[in-house]
Amino acid sequence: MKLTTILFDIFLLAVIILAATFYKWIFSYLISAIVLSYILSPSVSWLERKRVPRWLSVVLIYLSTAGVIVWFAYRMLPDLISQGETLMNMINSDQAPANSMLSIPIFKSLSGSVLKLDQQIPMLNLVDNFDRLIESSKVFLSSIPKLLITNYQVVLSAVSFVATIPLISFFLLKDGNKLVKDFYKIIPNRYFELSIIIINKINETVGNFLRAMFFEIIAVTIMASIALSIIGVKNSILIGLCAGVANVIPYFGPFIGTAIAITTTLIDGNTSMLPILNIIFAMYIVQVIDNNIVYPVVVGTTINMHPLIVLLTVLAGGWYGGIIWMLISVPLVYLIYSVVKVLYVNLKKFQLI
Amino acid sequence: MHRNLFNWALSLLKGKDRFGNLRKFSVFKDLNSFELYLLHQIMNERAYVEGEILFENKFPLELIYFIDKGEVEVIGALQPNGSRLLKKNQFVGLIDMFQENVRSSSARVTQDSVFLAVSQTDLRKFIHDNPRIGIKILIRTCELISKFSFDLAAEIKGD
Repeated sequence: MKLTTILFDIFLLAVIILAATFYKWIFSYLISAIVLSYILSPSVSWLERKRVPRWLSVVLIYLSTAGVIVWFAYRMLPDLISQGETLMNMINSDQAPANSMLSIPIFKSLSGSVLKLDQQIPMLNLVDNFDRLIESSKVFLSSIPKLLITNYQVVLSAVSFVATIPLISFFLLKDGNKLVKDFYKIIPNRYFELSIIIINKINETVGNFLRAMFFEIIAVTIMASIALSIIGVKNSILIGLCAGVANVIPYFGPFIGTAIAITTTLIDGNTSMLPILNIIFAMYIVQVIDNNIVYPVVVGTTINMHPLIVLLTVLAGGWYGGIIWMLISVPLVYLIYSVVKVLYVNLKKFQLI
Repeated sequence: MHRNLFNWALSLLKGKDRFGNLRKFSVFKDLNSFELYLLHQIMNERAYVEGEILFENKFPLELIYFIDKGEVEVIGALQPNGSRLLKKNQFVGLIDMFQENVRSSSARVTQDSVFLAVSQTDLRKFIHDNPRIGIKILIRTCELISKFSFDLAAEIKGD
């Protein structure tokens, strides 16, 4: 290899490292925008095939998506506001901390049991400990508005995150094909066919998986909301949404959705077994429809991971970054595994490893 | 006069035939300008210098190469006399895409060339997503295969 080539390669590497350091802050923006463009891309291409210019296709899809989001927000916002108001009133009330928290039925019945146990075994001092726990919970909840004010930068960055992603995604959807073609131009002829195969496979795997996951979340959300509404569970849409999102975790996700629905019912004061059994039955029906109709049609291929690996991945995700990472860790690990597999198989076929 | 005016108005509506040069390849002969625009999205232009290897025997078959400029020598047991020279406006890999996923021959560029490469995965998806365009391409491909079979039969008879 010529000295000038080596020097140019070193220079190029330095530029890439500098660019990566400079742009690392927007990495999460880019990933989110890529995910959004993967989900919307088939609709944009479909419109383009109907002779709608690509930029207009993107705009039309954005408008339709925004319309759906606004409609959902309009339907759900009054519920969310009233729930928020109830919670804030309860937190900011002048009543004694224990009394305000104890207005929630489940805490009320729990407090009764604690009192009874404390009378039977006085040395445990359970009532005092229970009061202290309730007090610390109240202090934490009261600090939430203050936390929001003091961390206004975080709040602003979250707002900018939500506002910027559609913008980045717009350009990815409009010029994505051109960007990929430009990327191919820098690939040497020797590796051109290999890179086409790898990128096509990754595109197919990642695209299909993300779209399938998205549609499954929607399907489970709708089915769970309808099922919970039928049996009379309050806030069924919100619980349905939680169940839909939790469903991305194989094996354990469906239980999380059911647990949320049961907890809500208990907090609402229903301590009898019948509503709980109804919820379990309703969520079971949702899972039967999901596993036998939605999943085979929409997803096609399943996340083929051992339950133990799924459990360990979810735990690791939780340790690493909380609830959000618990939800995305399994799909992320699966995608990385798929990409590595595609790379290995094709590098082997082209006798490069 | 009226006819010219009508044609001019029609050309304004249709826009420029930017990718009309793709019609020089027999399989794309029947596509209109919009269909060629869609097709061009899955094509990649590549330049090769004389002596460079285009592909090697037994390697995975993914790309179909349309020769825009230059010439390429295809070497393999299935080629008549062991090798075949392909020139401008011809292509390599299209018929193979219906047969196998591994190259049955090697190809070397014999003079500086420019190719329009299309992935068979992309082409299959393109045909599937655009059935009307797909039929036009597949009919032309069938004609090509038919001609190839008759030529081969005549060659065998000649022997």
